[in-house]
Amino acid sequence: MSTDDLTPSEAARWAARSGLPLAPERQGAVAATADHIHSVVSVLRELDFGDTPPSAAYRAGGEQHDAAV
Amino acid sequence: MQPYELTLADAAEAIRTGRLSPVELVDSVLERIEQVQPRLGAYVSVTADRARHAARRAADEIAAAGARGPLHGIPAALKDLIDVAGTATSASSRVREGHRAPGDSTVAARLSAAGAVFVGKTHTHEFAYGLTTPQTANAWDRGRVAGGSSGGSAVAVAARAATFALGTDTGGSIRVPAALNGVVGLKPTYGLVPRHGVTSLSWSLDHVGPITRTVEDAALVLGALAGHDPRDPASVAAPPADHRPGPGTDLTGLRVGVPGNYYFDHVDPDVEASVRRAIARLAELGARLVDVEIPMTRYIRPTHWGLMVPEASAYHERTLRAVPELYSADVRVLLEAGELMTAGDHLRAQRARTLLRQAWLDMMDTVDVIAAPTVPITAVAAGQTAVTWHDGTVESVSDAYVRLSAPANVTGVPALTVPVGLDPQGLPIGMQLMGRPFGEAAVLRAGHAYERTGTAGGLTPAA
Repeated sequence: MSTDDLTPSEAARWAARSGLPLAPERQGAVAATADHIHSVVSVLRELDFGDTPPSAAYRAGGEQHDAAV
Repeated sequence: MQPYELTLADAAEAIRTGRLSPVELVDSVLERIEQVQPRLGAYVSVTADRARHAARRAADEIAAAGARGPLHGIPAALKDLIDVAGTATSASSRVREGHRAPGDSTVAARLSAAGAVFVGKTHTHEFAYGLTTPQTANAWDRGRVAGGSSGGSAVAVAARAATFALGTDTGGSIRVPAALNGVVGLKPTYGLVPRHGVTSLSWSLDHVGPITRTVEDAALVLGALAGHDPRDPASVAAPPADHRPGPGTDLTGLRVGVPGNYYFDHVDPDVEASVRRAIARLAELGARLVDVEIPMTRYIRPTHWGLMVPEASAYHERTLRAVPELYSADVRVLLEAGELMTAGDHLRAQRARTLLRQAWLDMMDTVDVIAAPTVPITAVAAGQTAVTWHDGTVESVSDAYVRLSAPANVTGVPALTVPVGLDPQGLPIGMQLMGRPFGEAAVLRAGHAYERTGTAGGLTPAA
């Protein structure tokens, strides 16, 4: 277990802040899964993104009006 | 040969020339479903009466005015994430008990307009959040996984219990089960096929596409599905295209990239040997093989997870609080844990995706198609959870199945899987052909040429 891993009670508190109650018997499994996910996605911190924008797109007009198909 | 054994192209030709009626074809496929469903469990629901009615209507229309196109009167199955008005979209989940779709999805409406006849809805790994589809058995060996999440669709097509089917693909969910069951699967370019009315796993990664017996069939279905729909915000106004590959098998001028890294790492030797033989066949047909290095491989899985995990939890926010006990254990814990990912992690994944897309576009400047294995291993035994590689590395089955297919979801490039042989246990092996964005024509051309000259056309499960 690394120093930034969540304990079961911490996972329950984080979930509660998201409005998701976690019964005591679920807290261990959720903490372990969340820690595994965290260990995978944290690798992205190695990247220097500079001015790179996120990939999500937003169009003020809502639709592509040039659609010809 | 029974009508249910026909490919889509052959059935369409038989209908067009009056040698086969849609009624005969649909009846034959419905009988085949009755025969194989108890063993394979590909279908959630079969709409036999509705299908027979639609087949009679198609027969009348064709008798009066000729076939509208190659899908007119052709029996099709839909993954049960795809809405058909007035019927349940179960997502293979108890959470959807009592569901009724208010309208047709864009893809169902387009297939109906083309004259396709829906015979039923097929099983998905619950809400598409998994790679095995436990309700369904592999068409080649009932003790092995179907693959997922479009397992029911792939098994239905492999077992000849649908002439074609639709699946969805967020990390490989069309290509993985297609490869494990010896059929063709196409994940089109992101945005080419609208997803309106299709239950989402992850908006930024979801695709809809065909699962078929042949590459030509996949092209025929794609032709009916593609085209802009403003109700899907990712839908693009791509130019109209005839995706059907020509009859020739000459690949002169086609540049096929062969990865020197990533796609052949931790791959079963039998899978690697079959795929390399298939690549050599592409070269014999005139393609020029080009060494390519896959960029930023260390960041593929983190980017995929950083997008998919929080988006899936967001989609299920209400039901995860209202009826959490109705989810399967494996899906529930992923959805719960996904609530704990920070917005910073999600944004980092989006920015990494921007970098990955550009790096892939740069790599693909030098090639038309990249050829690689679809999955690193063939179908594992049901219940197997991990794979141990020759160097002692242990990988979960899900991670192994998604590893080679997820890059095309993150980058959005088109990706086709084509059967290229069987391993010593008699299980199918798939080759993946990836193209440039909206480069479906090149991957279909390469896949079709291989199929016409390779062994793939003869693959039929014993089931």
